[in-house]
Amino acid sequence: MKEFDIEKLERKNIYKVPDHVFENIQDRVMHDVKPARKAPIFKMNWAYAAAASLALIFGATFVFNSDDTPATNVGNSKGIYAENKNEPKTESEIAYETLKSDVISVDDNDQDSDIQDTKTDSYAQQSGEKVKAAPVKAVSKKEEKQVNEYLDSFSNSEISELASNSTQDVYLDLYN
Amino acid sequence: MKIKDAEIITLMQDPRTQDKGVRALMDAYQSRLYWHIRRIIVDGDLAQDTLQDTFIKAYQNFHQFKNDSQLYTWLYRIATNEALQQVNKMKKMQKTDEDPEYYMQNLVADNMEGDAEEIQILLQKAIQSLPEKQKLVFMMRYYDDLPYEEISKIVDMSVGTLKTNYHYAKQKIEEYIKENYEK
Repeated sequence: MKEFDIEKLERKNIYKVPDHVFENIQDRVMHDVKPARKAPIFKMNWAYAAAASLALIFGATFVFNSDDTPATNVGNSKGIYAENKNEPKTESEIAYETLKSDVISVDDNDQDSDIQDTKTDSYAQQSGEKVKAAPVKAVSKKEEKQVNEYLDSFSNSEISELASNSTQDVYLDLYN
Repeated sequence: MKIKDAEIITLMQDPRTQDKGVRALMDAYQSRLYWHIRRIIVDGDLAQDTLQDTFIKAYQNFHQFKNDSQLYTWLYRIATNEALQQVNKMKKMQKTDEDPEYYMQNLVADNMEGDAEEIQILLQKAIQSLPEKQKLVFMMRYYDDLPYEEISKIVDMSVGTLKTNYHYAKQKIEEYIKENYEK
């Protein structure tokens, strides 16, 4: 062959091709691709895994301990109930409490003029009812400290004397 | 109606429509890629496996596809890499005393259709006698009619080098056919 130009040659595929070659390839590709997508592998950094484990341990410990707390209280509940029981108080205790509430009520009167509640509370306490003195709860720690200091300066006999007077005063205020 | 590249890309980028996207991608490019791979590998079964791997890699690495290049350029690049890897494996597995060029030419004879023209058989044998780069450039230019600019992106060679390679490849093939054509 003397003259030959491949550009003039027809572009042909001369290789044998099996039947349904592209269908088979597509099926195989889809088969390989789908499971990989349906079952994604969850990879976790070891640091995150360790942190998660610690969080689980401490969380479980916290929950366990918080469940124990009421149980402990149950154990102590007898003591709490014993404290809450309205056992007959001695005269000096009643006097001390009355005086304390009086002093607080005086402070409250200076700040706002809600006298009636204070008197009612004082009366309730004196008569041995379970009603707690709301003003006592309401006072701040600072005021409480001032009251305690003030009361500490009195002897027991002075407190008893003052208490008897204050009781009369309360009755006077209530029934006048 | 032929689905456009933009539609394939949109389908492939959404995880909910990725299956549909892969199907569309294969429908659009399976024939061109198959023949590109087949001319490099020659063996039919290995060409099927290689095309399958090409699509799986395209699916798995689609997030790396950038819209600044054509979809078929990206696919040709994957297919070419997969085919060259396969050829290297084949060459490693062949007998040590056998000439690789001779091995590939025998493979052409084993895989051709019974009624293939002699000149076409000689052309395929001549292609297999070329160095790897010249072979790739010649096949993509001659059979797939790809622009040099696109071939440049596929094989990472400058357009000037590609033109030179194509010129030498064509010369070698013509000489081979002249020498071996019996009629």
